[in-house]
Amino acid sequence: MALNFKKETFREDYTYSNSGESIKRFPFPFPEDQYMYSVNIEPHTKGKPGSVCEFAFDIDEHYVAECLDKRITLEQDPGRYQALPHMMDAQWDFLELTMEALAQDYPEHFSLQKQGLIWTWENKPLGIKDTFTFGDTSTLATEPFDYIGRQLQGDFVLLDHRDETLYADAGIVTSQADWSLAFNVGMSWREWHGPVPRATELGVMDRALKYLLNLQLGSPVRRLNWTMTVNPRLDTSPENYPHWGSDRNTVNADNVADLVHLRVELQTLFRLPRSNAIVFSIRCYLISLKDIATYPRWAKRLHRVQKTMHPDLIEYKGMTKFHPLMVDWLAKFDDGEALTVGTHAE
Amino acid sequence: MEHGYTIKSKPIYGALAWHDKATVHLVIAQSQGGLAVLKLFEQMQPKQPVRVLYAQQDTDYAKTLKKVVPEGLDVLNSEQELLDVLKSIMPTMRMGLRIYIAGSEGFIWSVAEAVKAFGVENADLMKEQTDTLARTIYCVHCKAITHNITTNIGKCSGCGRMLFVRDHFSRQMGAYMGLMIDAESPGELPAIEEIYP
Repeated sequence: MALNFKKETFREDYTYSNSGESIKRFPFPFPEDQYMYSVNIEPHTKGKPGSVCEFAFDIDEHYVAECLDKRITLEQDPGRYQALPHMMDAQWDFLELTMEALAQDYPEHFSLQKQGLIWTWENKPLGIKDTFTFGDTSTLATEPFDYIGRQLQGDFVLLDHRDETLYADAGIVTSQADWSLAFNVGMSWREWHGPVPRATELGVMDRALKYLLNLQLGSPVRRLNWTMTVNPRLDTSPENYPHWGSDRNTVNADNVADLVHLRVELQTLFRLPRSNAIVFSIRCYLISLKDIATYPRWAKRLHRVQKTMHPDLIEYKGMTKFHPLMVDWLAKFDDGEALTVGTHAE
Repeated sequence: MEHGYTIKSKPIYGALAWHDKATVHLVIAQSQGGLAVLKLFEQMQPKQPVRVLYAQQDTDYAKTLKKVVPEGLDVLNSEQELLDVLKSIMPTMRMGLRIYIAGSEGFIWSVAEAVKAFGVENADLMKEQTDTLARTIYCVHCKAITHNITTNIGKCSGCGRMLFVRDHFSRQMGAYMGLMIDAESPGELPAIEEIYP
């Protein structure tokens, strides 16, 4: 099925919106009425047709607009792409993994022809067609990770596996929830996660690391993470905090349902074959409170989750200023009905 | 963004102690770090060969060090001079080397960066912080580095923004993250206080 790519923006006039189909497939992250930080990692197996987990890398109606937004961010700040010199094998591994997956899962949009090491890649939605030699960086205009990273929705970090830990030694990061690739590049797992409150105390990060060090080739895993963002802005980076930070002051009781968005990250991790590195893919989905309320079950659930949120997490996720407004708006959908466990919409 | 939560990537420095499995010791200190070196030699005069590089500044432990350290002591006049000597002797060092560093945090991470080029990993360095708690700050907005910040909020040497000093530390940069403090309410600054004297 060919996708209908929307023309929309994630900055300035913010014309981003979700179609009915897109709302329906939104990866709602709260199976229970209370939220607590947890590892919640599961195998990244094939999901139901149409779901965000149907394929290894999800491409949706926002694909073209997101790739354009990524290009703008990278032009303004080339430091959003980083790759330490020893990561070149991992770069090619990444290119192979993503090109093969896209060509197989979305044949109407992408194709990959191989004649030995001479590969021809075609990306129809973005109007790209290039022939290059796999493994020979001089045959591409940019480094391989940069080349294909720009043609995918979401952020990617390549983790090098050594000294019984994972180092964030390469990344292309333009839609992050407040962390800086330029600052974090080269950090070990534990340093990188230093700012996550409560998680370290709970031992969550150590358990997750142990799990990931055993990640096997061909058996990727996934988890969901979430935050709330004012405006459908992909680039909520610390780098550009001076530009978006004050948006939090603009939320009031009248506009809260339009301005405040649930931002869900579908995080997937894949072991790479030659480099033994791990791809950490962070695919961001945005939905306004108003669109969440399309499904009363989601509105009730989100109300309960937010109402009982730990104050440290409200602070950490930058929600302090608009949190009460959000809870008040959601309250009117919540009749107190008991909800069964699960993230389904209906 | 808002402060009020703890961050765990800040390095914790201990006190220097000899590593008995070493085949050679390299002790590198600055200013009041000389006292840490003297304490180290009070613990023991090690059997293995020792090199000591000491950059003297306002506090001068050079005289005492000369008495206590039997051989292999170099007294230098600046951090830069010390780093140059360090880089010149590193290629002669062999397996089993242990490195001990005592000085300000800025000094510690300058040394760490210098020896990294010779394949010495961070985990193999023993560090003791002396002299000052002053911080080196990386401005996440304009990417400039500002040294010797002693207050909770410091002015960026690059873009001039007032930066909140987060407890988030990058060993690669040897710096803490600095984040614009008044982005959400321009001009509203909390009281600026010395907290890293």
